[in-house]
Amino acid sequence: MAGDDIHRQAFREEADELLMELEASLLELEAQPGNAELINKVFRAMHTLKGSGAMFGFDDIAVFTHDVESVFDRVRNGEITITKRLLDLTLGSCDHIKWLLETPDAANEAENKGPELLAGFRSFLPGQEPQGAPGGTDDAAAPQQELEKVESIYRIRFRPDPMIFSSGSNPALFIEDLGEIGACKAFLYMDKVPPLDEIDPFLCYVWWDVLLRSSERVEEIQDIFAFVEDQCELVIEPIAREDEACESLISKKLGEILVERGDIDPEILNSALSSQKRLGDILTSAGIVSEHQVESALAEQQAAKEFKDRRAPQTPAAASSSIRISAEKLDLLVDLVGELVIVQAQIKQAVAKSGDVFLNSLSEQLERLSDDLRDSTLGIRMLPIGATFNKFRRLVRDLSAELGKEIELVTSGEETELDKTVIERLGDPLVHLLRNSIDHGIESPDERQAKGKPRAGVVSLSAEHSGGEVIIRIADDGAGMDPGRIRAKAVERGLIAPDAELSDKDVYSLIFLPGFSTAEKVTSVSGRGVGMDVVKRAIDQLRGGVEIDSQRDKGSVISIRLPLTLVIINGLQIRIGEEHYVIPLSIVEECVGLSRHGGPADQSQIINLRGESVPFIRLREWFEIEGTPPSIEQIVITSVDGMRVGLVVDNVIGEHQTVIKSLGRIYRDVEGLSGATIKGDGSMALILDVPGLLRAINEQPATYREN
Amino acid sequence: MSKTIMTVDDSASIRQMVGFTLKKEGYSVVEAVDGKDALSKLKGPIHMVITDLNMPNMDGIELIRNIRAQAAYKFIPIIMLTTESQAGKKQEGKTAGATGWIVKPFKPEQLIAVVQKVLR
Amino acid sequence: MSDQNVLNDNQYLTFTLERELFALNIVSVREVLELTNITKVPRTPKFIRGVINLRGRAVPVVDLRMKFGMGKTERTVNTCIIIVEVELDGEAAVLGALADSVQEVYEMEASQIEPAPRMGARIKAEFIRGMGKSGEQFIIILDINKVFSAEELAAAFDPQPAGESREA
Repeated sequence: MAGDDIHRQAFREEADELLMELEASLLELEAQPGNAELINKVFRAMHTLKGSGAMFGFDDIAVFTHDVESVFDRVRNGEITITKRLLDLTLGSCDHIKWLLETPDAANEAENKGPELLAGFRSFLPGQEPQGAPGGTDDAAAPQQELEKVESIYRIRFRPDPMIFSSGSNPALFIEDLGEIGACKAFLYMDKVPPLDEIDPFLCYVWWDVLLRSSERVEEIQDIFAFVEDQCELVIEPIAREDEACESLISKKLGEILVERGDIDPEILNSALSSQKRLGDILTSAGIVSEHQVESALAEQQAAKEFKDRRAPQTPAAASSSIRISAEKLDLLVDLVGELVIVQAQIKQAVAKSGDVFLNSLSEQLERLSDDLRDSTLGIRMLPIGATFNKFRRLVRDLSAELGKEIELVTSGEETELDKTVIERLGDPLVHLLRNSIDHGIESPDERQAKGKPRAGVVSLSAEHSGGEVIIRIADDGAGMDPGRIRAKAVERGLIAPDAELSDKDVYSLIFLPGFSTAEKVTSVSGRGVGMDVVKRAIDQLRGGVEIDSQRDKGSVISIRLPLTLVIINGLQIRIGEEHYVIPLSIVEECVGLSRHGGPADQSQIINLRGESVPFIRLREWFEIEGTPPSIEQIVITSVDGMRVGLVVDNVIGEHQTVIKSLGRIYRDVEGLSGATIKGDGSMALILDVPGLLRAINEQPATYREN
Repeated sequence: MSKTIMTVDDSASIRQMVGFTLKKEGYSVVEAVDGKDALSKLKGPIHMVITDLNMPNMDGIELIRNIRAQAAYKFIPIIMLTTESQAGKKQEGKTAGATGWIVKPFKPEQLIAVVQKVLR
Repeated sequence: MSDQNVLNDNQYLTFTLERELFALNIVSVREVLELTNITKVPRTPKFIRGVINLRGRAVPVVDLRMKFGMGKTERTVNTCIIIVEVELDGEAAVLGALADSVQEVYEMEASQIEPAPRMGARIKAEFIRGMGKSGEQFIIILDINKVFSAEELAAAFDPQPAGESREA
């Protein structure tokens, strides 16, 4: 990877510095051999040289410093005292490390003082065998036995320690990880969850039974839980292999499975069997096992059956087939599903009020179904981005010809899927960014040659999933951006104060401000001073974000983060007076209370949040909502492009999955709103577009302050 | 918004490598040179900490304990960077509240795999 | 409107704003709703009262009285929302119009309709398609596409949307 060289260089510089300090410490030690602080310094320097050396391919240094470190570990523990001989040896090893740093691989063996020095150090380490490179080689050393991968069914019981959260672990992630290595059916047990008022939110009460069909071995499954192996009860049992007859398993009775899992005793099974009802019902009603445990065991039976069915020869009909449908029909389907989700939420609310147990269970089923329906419907809308990428090949070709540049377009992640609407609306911003990279980023072939780069520049376009988002990157190996020039321009245009403290990243993002252009020469392709702000706005409208990283003469990377879909978001519902609004949860960081201590005269509009000054906006004033605010308001702290801004509201109502409805043509130009959603009572709530809101406020600060 | 990860190491080259690798993956990165420095920079949205164990001023174990003592960071993932020769330290770190570990030397891909394992 | 088998150009839905009688050609009327909760959209002209949920769609509702300078429509048992379909920049758009009460579907031949008076009316002449009569009372027949033209709506938002709403 491209980073390797810079990392190696960084290590060389660091090692030089460390060696200088090391020498100084050693010389001081000579004067005060008992100084623990100095001994520690020497140990740490060796430790860093060893660890970092191994990281960046300086294996000679890592091997060599290992023994030196071991000796100083003992000195640290008082097992060895500092002597002149030890100091001489260590100073000698400083020189040797320097030599190793400077001498290329094919070293002159005659000059190699390493073995001699090591022998000296080992004399301080009685009973220790000469050691090879520490760690890291495990993978390579143990020749991986190429075991034939056989698909098996595993029964996994995972009972996390109640204290598991305190190590920063989220037990549910392990279940997710299992899903990544095979088909997985998880049963969550909530029987240990106490009544609400007794719940300690810091404790984990739940546990899982998982059926996993995977070709990984037990050790690999154990690896998933490696970080928490001492914080959970973990049982992994293979219960069937593909190459084994699993007939016995299919015929295995529910009772046998429960006994095998240790959920019930054989005697209980026998006494239960003597009665005529279905075993599951009997055991449940007798309170011996929970309904859930029975369900889980039944699923095991089912999994075994499916397993067998899968092994049956596939019929041709099972081959994947696809049909073409019009986008309109699809939109209609999505609308209908959206409706359904809303009605379902209303039913849930009504049922919860009624307290009817039967209706409640029906409503829960409905919720599950509509969630599944929603997910699979939205899935249909997902399209791979590859087609869009391919469209750009021509663009790049034509542009490079026009500008007399040689450019290769490399794409990756074409299979990454995004909502159809997102893909459609992404086209223009991408074209603009590509043009920008080609026009401003990539130098002319002669210029490149002069810099020692290949004549042809590379522009790469990639897409990948990251969490619930997709990241699209446009990278070039061109001239990179000049923060100084951008800064000067921004000051000249009055966009920032001359003494503004900005990181390079902040400076790069200035080019997204309206009316910014650094091109000293206006070309037909870009540099008209319009565009980058339009790009930013388009991406904001897709509820995404954009970021620039650049290095002089190495090139620039523009990363665009996008949500997977525009149809549904998780939102935080808030209230101001009688009006309800929704804030996209993805930008919400926390909510804090705000008491009106300063009275109405307090115009500071800044809250001190754990030492950080966070500006806030009174939505009530900005939205001109009548009435008086409550004595204690809430501030929803949001993060927009790395900047934190508080939004003052009367009340935070809660988290809702929100189906986004367009506000339509008439409200198209209203800033600060991205759409509407339907509340449980059938009326609408508006969805805030916080970046847009901030823009609107910044554009007319005077009118706002008059309020 | 992108998640923010704090990387704590007294070795500049490791900080650079960790920072570079994480930024390339789209994370925001806060760098600190030792435990003390890390604590002073621990404010606002920090979603995860990756720390070396052996550092001057305040070592990794002490840092983990201090992070866990703050309500806002009680449950964030903390990954420690250990070496093979520090098997005992690994346990000490877990007891202090570390989420997991990476054994040095490691490759960027291994780092990313661990980050993605604990931070979602 | 379900009892109308044939929709023709001669039929008008009549409604009142204050005490005056207005009419819209039935072709552009979709349905009539009771007044429901209108969600205000902040920092927009006051005569656009907000949006309602019309079977899952966000439909803007216009206060015709405010648009015509007759003061804000107050909520009464008779207040209705007339859902109309208009053409905005060549695209069909659905809007709601607040009316103090909806009267009836009234048939008028073209010959019964007189051209709009050039002046005198407090409503812009271009909004009026013609004047009809029901007994002794005049009926102002609105040209809904003009009332809700893109220019009219755009003018309301420009250049200082916030300022305008503050004064209104």
